[in-house]
Amino acid sequence: MSDDSNPLMMLVWILPIILFVFYGQRIQLYVTSGEIKKAIKKLDSFREESKTELIDYIKKNTSFEIDSIKKIDRFLDYFTIMPVDMDPNGIVDKVQHTVRAREDYTREHIKTLYPQLSDFELTKVQTLLELASSLQMIHKIVNHMFLTAKKQNNYPLILPLQMILPFVMEQAEAMKEAISAFKSGQPVGDGIGPMVVGKMMLNCEKQILAFQTTLAKTDFEGRQLLLLKAEGPGSTVGRPADALEKIVSENTINTIIMVDAALKMEGEESASVAQGFGAAIGGIGTERFQIEAIATSKNIPIFSIVVKQSVKEAITLMTKEIADKADDTRQQVYEMIKENTKEGQSIVVIGVGNTVGVPQ
Amino acid sequence: MIFSKKKIIIAYTIEKCPECNMQRKRKFAKGDILFTESSKCTSCNGIAVIEKIFGESFEQ
Repeated sequence: MSDDSNPLMMLVWILPIILFVFYGQRIQLYVTSGEIKKAIKKLDSFREESKTELIDYIKKNTSFEIDSIKKIDRFLDYFTIMPVDMDPNGIVDKVQHTVRAREDYTREHIKTLYPQLSDFELTKVQTLLELASSLQMIHKIVNHMFLTAKKQNNYPLILPLQMILPFVMEQAEAMKEAISAFKSGQPVGDGIGPMVVGKMMLNCEKQILAFQTTLAKTDFEGRQLLLLKAEGPGSTVGRPADALEKIVSENTINTIIMVDAALKMEGEESASVAQGFGAAIGGIGTERFQIEAIATSKNIPIFSIVVKQSVKEAITLMTKEIADKADDTRQQVYEMIKENTKEGQSIVVIGVGNTVGVPQ
Repeated sequence: MIFSKKKIIIAYTIEKCPECNMQRKRKFAKGDILFTESSKCTSCNGIAVIEKIFGESFEQ
């Protein structure tokens, strides 16, 4: 009897086919589940680590009480309900109000819990709290999606999670690594904008123009420069849009130049500098909306200079490559001013980003 | 990856003397803040200013 007609050999071929036809998805579910479980375990360790680091930092810098630590624990579970967007009219103001209310509430409560914290330390605790809270939320969401798919034994439900998981893990790992830089008050990659403008501000008289936002005025080749950045060296991004609104209401501005960190595309060189048009500012979008509205109403052109970097580089300790580009970027700002403005004009230069470890 | 080496990041501070432009690289110390006066310049007795703070990664 040849192998072709051997019934046993036929079974060897047919059985796996039948098995995969009826149980293929379930097998895939088991294989994928293993990978996702590992990722969830990692996310759980990040969550725990960030919480421990936050509590350690508070213990070291304050005369803490057990009760206050419990309250901090409660902060980690705080959520934000974004406004309804069925009717988008006025949504930006609503989002801004919600986000700012959360920030103000957190800041005030940390201040009440630990009145001995300086403003500098307070901004650091607030950022560490945000990081720990975000890592807790990421863990919760990923775990929820995984358990739902598992409960329903539904493989297609686990697919979107499998697809986004590498990006989520990249973000979570960056957040975990960001903790040490924020704790030590070291500049992060996102601080390149404030670093460039901060150096231009040195030896100039400064004033606080908006919440945690500093302005300095100086002259450059017959032009007036109004330099704006978040108030360093605390961990804050300030409120550049509010400050710009005040500047524009009191002065005639001819050009706005924004310096910021931007996410690089895959394959792009890290720390490469690029120039462009439009408002270079990240975040939830409310600041950008406000800046664009001001510029449009007054017909002011906006130019941007960005330093490209990855998600991880943006929120962790600034790399040597990025730090080395600060002088070159500052030079490009001056060239841009000379090329696009005339003598006697006024230019606002905004250093956008988290100014931790970067004074002015 | 079983054989991949662990990467560690070490923070460095670059001090620059505004008078003689001499630069010195040292490990980051707690309290170092950009653009602030740091230590006496070893070559001209001027006061060096912190020019950069950055991290470099090494494989362990």
